[in-house]
Amino acid sequence: EEEEEEQFYMKDLPKHACSYCGIHDPACVVLCNSTKKWFCNGRGNTSGSHIINHLVRAKAKEVTLHKDGPLGETVLECYNCGCRNVFLLGFIPAKADSVVVLLCRQPCATLTNLKDMNWDPSQWQPLIQDRQFLAWLVKVPSDQEQMRGRQISAQQINKLEELWKDNPDATLEDLEKPGVDEEPQQVLLRYDDAYQYQNIFGPLVKLEADYDKKLKESQTQDNIVVRWDVGLNKKRITYFHLPKANEEMKLMHGDELRIRYMGELHKPWSGVGHVIKIPDNHSDEVAIELKSNAGVPTDCTHNFVVDFVWKSTSFDRMQAALKTFAVDETSVWGYIYHKLLGHEVEDVVIKCQLPKRFSALSLPELNHSQVYAVKTVLQRPLSLIQGPPGTGKTVTSATVVYHLAKQNSGQVLVCAPSNIAVDQLTEKIHRTGLKVVRLCAKSREAIESPVSFLSLHNQIRNIESVPELQKLQQLKDETGELSSADEKRYRSLKKQCEKELLQHADVICCTCVGAGDPRLGKMQFRSVLIDESTQATEPECMIPVILGCRQLILVGDHCQLGPVVMCKKAARAGLSQSLFERLVVLGIRPIRLQVQYRMHPALSAFPSNIFYEGSLQNGVAPADRTRKNLDIPWPQADKPMFFYTTSGQEEISSSGTSYLNRTEAVNVEKIATRFLRSSIKPEQIGIITPYEGQRAYIVQYMQYSGSLNKKLYQEIEVASVDAFQGREKDFIILSCVRSNEHQGIGFLNDPRRLNVALTRAKYGIIIVGNPKVLSKQPLWNHLLTYYKEQKCLVEGPLNNLKESLIQFSKPRKLVN
Amino acid sequence: DDEITLLTGGPKFVKCSEDDDFMTAFDKMMIDNIQARNHESLKVPQLDIAVPMHLKDKNKKAACSNFLETQEEPKENKSIDFVLMTRRGNKQQFTNLNVPISAEFAAKYKEREHAEKME
Ligand SMILES: [Zn+2]
Ligand SMILES: [Zn+2]
Ligand SMILES: [Zn+2]
Repeated sequence: EEEEEEQFYMKDLPKHACSYCGIHDPACVVLCNSTKKWFCNGRGNTSGSHIINHLVRAKAKEVTLHKDGPLGETVLECYNCGCRNVFLLGFIPAKADSVVVLLCRQPCATLTNLKDMNWDPSQWQPLIQDRQFLAWLVKVPSDQEQMRGRQISAQQINKLEELWKDNPDATLEDLEKPGVDEEPQQVLLRYDDAYQYQNIFGPLVKLEADYDKKLKESQTQDNIVVRWDVGLNKKRITYFHLPKANEEMKLMHGDELRIRYMGELHKPWSGVGHVIKIPDNHSDEVAIELKSNAGVPTDCTHNFVVDFVWKSTSFDRMQAALKTFAVDETSVWGYIYHKLLGHEVEDVVIKCQLPKRFSALSLPELNHSQVYAVKTVLQRPLSLIQGPPGTGKTVTSATVVYHLAKQNSGQVLVCAPSNIAVDQLTEKIHRTGLKVVRLCAKSREAIESPVSFLSLHNQIRNIESVPELQKLQQLKDETGELSSADEKRYRSLKKQCEKELLQHADVICCTCVGAGDPRLGKMQFRSVLIDESTQATEPECMIPVILGCRQLILVGDHCQLGPVVMCKKAARAGLSQSLFERLVVLGIRPIRLQVQYRMHPALSAFPSNIFYEGSLQNGVAPADRTRKNLDIPWPQADKPMFFYTTSGQEEISSSGTSYLNRTEAVNVEKIATRFLRSSIKPEQIGIITPYEGQRAYIVQYMQYSGSLNKKLYQEIEVASVDAFQGREKDFIILSCVRSNEHQGIGFLNDPRRLNVALTRAKYGIIIVGNPKVLSKQPLWNHLLTYYKEQKCLVEGPLNNLKESLIQFSKPRKLVN
Repeated sequence: DDEITLLTGGPKFVKCSEDDDFMTAFDKMMIDNIQARNHESLKVPQLDIAVPMHLKDKNKKAACSNFLETQEEPKENKSIDFVLMTRRGNKQQFTNLNVPISAEFAAKYKEREHAEKME
């Protein structure tokens, strides 16, 4: 099944595309007979058309028209002598009839008996006029077409022509390829054309792919002990423990691992499977579901080796999207094309029937800023919705999708970078009664989610109209495998049913990378909504966009965390800036949702002022967000927050790559225990710490030193800021870790990370850290000053907290 | 609703030394080509190009009707159907060629047509 994927990619320009600008309307192009390259009759930004530019530089004189052009396969040659030099040829009309012939200006057009034969040599009209072929011989591409093509300069033309002398197959990309050790080209704000866009992003995607590959391939671990099991679908499952797990590994559901037997009790064996369980608070075991049950050495348990199988799929799909964007003018509508590249286009209003009622059935009633967002978005071809924490981004997105689908302008494609975000939105859209299909990667089909029943592979299983498919499916489930004939039949039936289900859906939901799935290959989506788009890289966002987009809605919040880019080189060059962010810089104002329903008003005040110009309004009252009878010594009764001064030493964690702070961990455990004692459920508590070393230490410390049942502490989620983005907890304890006088505060320096950390809690937040160190950073200085003003900056033992008397320098004005 | 308007208009000419060089090279190539033809002592066939009879009648009608139909259109859109006569070996070929009125010979042809009609 994976081979299918490979043949599916990479649109190319047709052979007859202009070798300079890519324009390929047959009526507009001409072949240079000596170099066998095609060129268009547009001037671009030069003083001659591309074909003439080429002929002059290549010293070529003969051309061939395109057979699908207006003159068909007409050969441009002198009617009399057969000369084919286009610099000499011209038309001569008959004196009295609407007939013309081609004659060379020397000597045929000057022959004296011409006049006698009813031809009018005084009207001789050269083929090339003003350094361009006559427009009625070879069409001049329109301004629109020329602006949609590659914007090539005279300098680039010169360089390219030079390059062709050594290597006739060279392309413009070859001119711009950076050397091996060179820094990649920085991303831009505006791009001349989609070729330049591809030329800049392509290498960055490649850098990230190479980095990822190297990382995955360096993770082989040996001497692995396994245990075997069988899943409900009769497939083999292997459980094992990876001793050298680390932060960078980021093992995820659906990742592919290869397991090999190296012992002597069984002949050599190796099998590949998808990860269906990763280490969590309960067990450090990893589980994979094997692709094939054949020959599995289930009697052996020792001497296995585990390799990571690197998959290029997501990177291939990004590259393919970049290319399609460049070469295929039907991939996105011109308006979107120019807007994305930062060109100025006259605003367009989409004619649509605005609904009488904006709230969608079965979804919560919208507030005024949400209604405004929905209404505005429906009428614009390109919009940005900014959803600060707790402002009902998902409900708003689902409502937009509902109305888009009701507009009858085709199917809506809904994407987000992460599977969790896609699932959340899928569930809401499903509630509106629309027909939704959730398309999952094949490697993730075994993973349960709350919307599993909407996934394509499950809908196929439940399809009743094709009994033969059901029978084969049943057989496959029971026996694990089918005969090859049955398997073939099964696949073709399945493919057919998949196609039908997809075509009859109102909405298709998948990850951004999932939008590159071959199963969507021939489909077109006029309307595309990308949720959490600020967490996707630009090339990732382009995957759903190039499927024929005419209306694009990007939802996200550029004041929260951006996309994760592992390769520092690529990140530095700007791959970690999202498309949403760039469009904001280009001057597209995001529509901001303004009412937050998550945080106690005391908790939302600081983030609102610092990150959202004070625009966040509270949709909840203090009473809605107050838990009574808590054994927590809030310094101010009406403010469920405090900063707990701890001046413990930070130290390097045992892995050597991270930090931990024991004193902070002790305090975190004490606070957590108080919450648990006040009968707060462990699932309602979140502990955020930016360092993996501290995360592991807190988990371990709570379980072994906490005074309550181990199990309770196990249920408390301890994770990085990044892991909490998009989610909420009733109570948050934030452990800052860093506490040295000389070095920076690392991760906490990023304002967007601080924003996320501060906005997860609904009922209360406690920050544990060293104010003296943290206050050196301007943003933290603001935060600490704020807590001090609120009389919420405290120190001393938990049962006897005192206001801290520490003085901070006056906070500097922040510049965004 | 496909209409979009680029506020920057179409491609803008960029003056640069590379383009100046191109213009010079173009003029030189043109002159060289013509001079080369002048200096070659070319033996070309005896000129013998007649307008075939069948084209004379058929096309006049076509051109007239075309002209009448397009009378309402703005001037720059007007065009006349010409026939391009070419030769493949000894066989003549005819291809329709839509020539805009902006081409001088097309304008002349139209004037003459008009004058004939008036008569
Ligand atoms: Zn061109
Ligand atoms: Zn000739
Ligand atoms: Zn543009």
